[in-house]
Amino acid sequence: MRHHFATSFRAALVAAALLPMLLAGCAKPAKDYMAIPNRPNQVSLIDLEERKVVRTCPLPGRYGSGTLQMSPDKRTAYVLSNQFENIYGVNLDTCEITFSAIQSEGNTRIKTTAAFAVSADGTELYVHQNPSLLLRDRYEVQEPRVAVYRIADGLKAKPVRSFPAPRQVILMQTDAKGTLYLAGRDIYTMDTATGAYSVKLESQTRKEARYGQRDVLSIWPLGQQSNEFIRMYTVQRFADETRKPETAELMWGYERIDLATGEATTRDFGPLNVVLFSGMTRPHHPNEMFGALSQLQKFDVEKQQLIKSVDLEHSYYCVNFSTDGSKVYLSGTFNDIVIYDAETLEKLGNIQLPGGDMSLATAQVFPRAP
Amino acid sequence: MKKANIWPALCLALVPFLPAQANEALLRHNCGACHGDPANPEAPLSRISEQRKSPEGWEMTLHRMQTIHGVQLSDPEGKSDSAGVLFQLVKYLSDTHGIAPAETAGLRYTLERRHNAVDIPEDAEYAVMCTRCHSNARVALQRRTEPEWRNLIHFHLAQFPTTEYQIGGRDREWFPIAIDRTLPKLAAAYPLQTPEWEAWQKAAKPALAGRWRVTGRMPGKGDFNGIMTAEAGDADSYSVSLVGEFSGGEPLHVDGHSVVYTGFEWRGNLETDSEHYLQVLEASADGSALSGRMFPFDHPERGIDLQARRDDGTPRLLAVSPAQLKRGSTATLTLSGSALAGAPQLGAGLKVERIVSRDADRLVVEASAAADADVGARAIVVGKASLPAALTVFDAVDRVEVSPAYTVGRVGGSEGSQPEVQGRFEAIAWANGPDGAAGTADDLRIGPVKAQWSVAPWNEKAAEDGDLRFAGTMDKDTGIFTPASAGPNPERKQGTNNAGNLKVIATVGEGEAAVRGEGQLLVTVQRWVNPPLW
Repeated sequence: MRHHFATSFRAALVAAALLPMLLAGCAKPAKDYMAIPNRPNQVSLIDLEERKVVRTCPLPGRYGSGTLQMSPDKRTAYVLSNQFENIYGVNLDTCEITFSAIQSEGNTRIKTTAAFAVSADGTELYVHQNPSLLLRDRYEVQEPRVAVYRIADGLKAKPVRSFPAPRQVILMQTDAKGTLYLAGRDIYTMDTATGAYSVKLESQTRKEARYGQRDVLSIWPLGQQSNEFIRMYTVQRFADETRKPETAELMWGYERIDLATGEATTRDFGPLNVVLFSGMTRPHHPNEMFGALSQLQKFDVEKQQLIKSVDLEHSYYCVNFSTDGSKVYLSGTFNDIVIYDAETLEKLGNIQLPGGDMSLATAQVFPRAP
Repeated sequence: MKKANIWPALCLALVPFLPAQANEALLRHNCGACHGDPANPEAPLSRISEQRKSPEGWEMTLHRMQTIHGVQLSDPEGKSDSAGVLFQLVKYLSDTHGIAPAETAGLRYTLERRHNAVDIPEDAEYAVMCTRCHSNARVALQRRTEPEWRNLIHFHLAQFPTTEYQIGGRDREWFPIAIDRTLPKLAAAYPLQTPEWEAWQKAAKPALAGRWRVTGRMPGKGDFNGIMTAEAGDADSYSVSLVGEFSGGEPLHVDGHSVVYTGFEWRGNLETDSEHYLQVLEASADGSALSGRMFPFDHPERGIDLQARRDDGTPRLLAVSPAQLKRGSTATLTLSGSALAGAPQLGAGLKVERIVSRDADRLVVEASAAADADVGARAIVVGKASLPAALTVFDAVDRVEVSPAYTVGRVGGSEGSQPEVQGRFEAIAWANGPDGAAGTADDLRIGPVKAQWSVAPWNEKAAEDGDLRFAGTMDKDTGIFTPASAGPNPERKQGTNNAGNLKVIATVGEGEAAVRGEGQLLVTVQRWVNPPLW
């Protein structure tokens, strides 16, 4: 009886909490969208079911990097713009610019590579800053830092907190518990209240007798569709601890944070035959790792084997998936997004963006009500 | 296309000729706002006074001040426009804060735009920290105080923040390494004050007016032979005319002017009706010789290696062309020099059959080699003039070396801003020597010989991708490879550009006696940043 009551009570609570969402959902069920910036300097919202651009919103200033993170409610896209300096929040339903972090000020020029993230509750934005002082007759490189902006401060946002941070941080992500991850030479966690940081996952500082030093080039904060923060590494793997060069195999591997649990894992997932730029695991198929550049490749993580490789019509930098994991979306390069079947790697179609090259842009895919 | 290159290479030479002599006042007028000390107007200008550079180095600095910092160069007396002021400042800075001749030894390849030069610094870390982007010479042709080298490192990361994320940067703690390890090395190896610079500042600088006897060689066209006259103008400038021809008979006549920087860095700016050439020559300390390279403004890869010797009336033999003669054969040889008089002596086993023509500059002879003439390089004598190792007598070509063994060509043209960069090859013949084995100490270098040229896919991948069809065309007679046009090619796999990886094949001789040599040509994409110094 008691059990029954508890269950009913919990169900009622859940129903009450979900009611507005359910009502909205009845009218307009959630479906997959993509947000993606491209040149000259704009961001588009794409209805992936219809394969159509719903809306294209202009951004201020010059293009680049085009790194994009979504607000938790999937209504606002935060885009690193103006040559790696300013972050703008744009409402994708109205094209209104609701937030801006203009980082450079006075004689301090600040650049961000691709490292910024939005807090799980959507109230704060974290950004890794590389400041330089532009003096009268010389430049002076300053120590990097993580700046915290309050999103409610809107167009006049200034850092509300600022903490010393490691150099060479390229990516950032937050998890459901509010932990901030910084991916640089290693992957660090930072306490966003105190700025205390420590190594969560060794990458370059890892010492393994059978391995060389890892190399990571990852400037796309990807993985939310699989609830992960993931980046790929390449590494030389030797037959044994004597590290004879003739025994070296070139391997792909990943460094992964589970965004639900905060658990960090790292492992090799397959042989390096071609260069790949970005990758993530297929939603609902954690044993399948996908990567792309001139080829789209699918790996069996457990067996460390390439399952299938297809040549692409041109290079694509950025991998993403539909929420159900059935389709792969490739973006970056030109204004052309291509869709592949995640099971068969057969091409399903293209979506053309208005405007020009996406270059280093991040494409985020997310389900939401229209 | 000429204006496409963002660096008006030697724009110093492009400006109308300016007799005005720059001075400290002009420097302070243009640079003092940022580099002067308002509290002490007599103090040396910051940064500028703490470094020394080549003329091209100073040109790049001034160019950067204009493009990045918006400097408007001006002449308070209103005599010169901004380009004129830039020229005068480069001249003044090169003269007062230049690089001494001895300090350029082994590093002139960058000044001479020899873009295929391979120069790997001994220090492996240095190679990654600096020369993964720059030539070694770009670094080593500068001298700075330690604080000034530090400023340069800060400039690099502040201006190009991706430096520490690029390959060779992200695999290490780039900035701490640059400051803690690279900086002390640079400061020790390339300090502001050196004995070489002190000595050169005191040395008398040669006057370079006169009649110059010029010899040289250009891959694809052969040996060059000419006369250059230089008439002195104001401020270390000269009016210059160069008239000559290649061994194939093609004439070359260029007129223009030159300016001498730092007392020895000759920069000529010369034109034919259709082509604009730059001369980058080094004057010897005594002013008797000039050596270096001359190349079209838009195509540094199409260069002529030049040596010039002042014609002061002394009999001199400077070159023999061709510089090889096969045993048992007869050939026409051109002996180039100055004040040539007297009988030509080719040495034992060689005979002058007849003198075809002669004057003081040139002696053309028909020469024959006996079947048992001594094999090897020998001196040639004309009257009182002699030239050691002027002619190589050989028996047979045993192997052919393609030179350069590896080079990079670039697609270009189309609608793009960059012209194509050719690959230019020569076939260097070798004999195996008495031991009959290739690659041993007794091998005899016969020298550049005529060859038939072709290209083939370098490997299976190149064959599969159709590189041979798309990358460009090789001229079978000259060894000049011209890359195809730039831009994505819809006919290619993945719509890629006309890049290619090719084997370059030189065939010397015919039939069963033919000897083949191979090199590699990588045809790649355009280089978008083309400053005078790489």
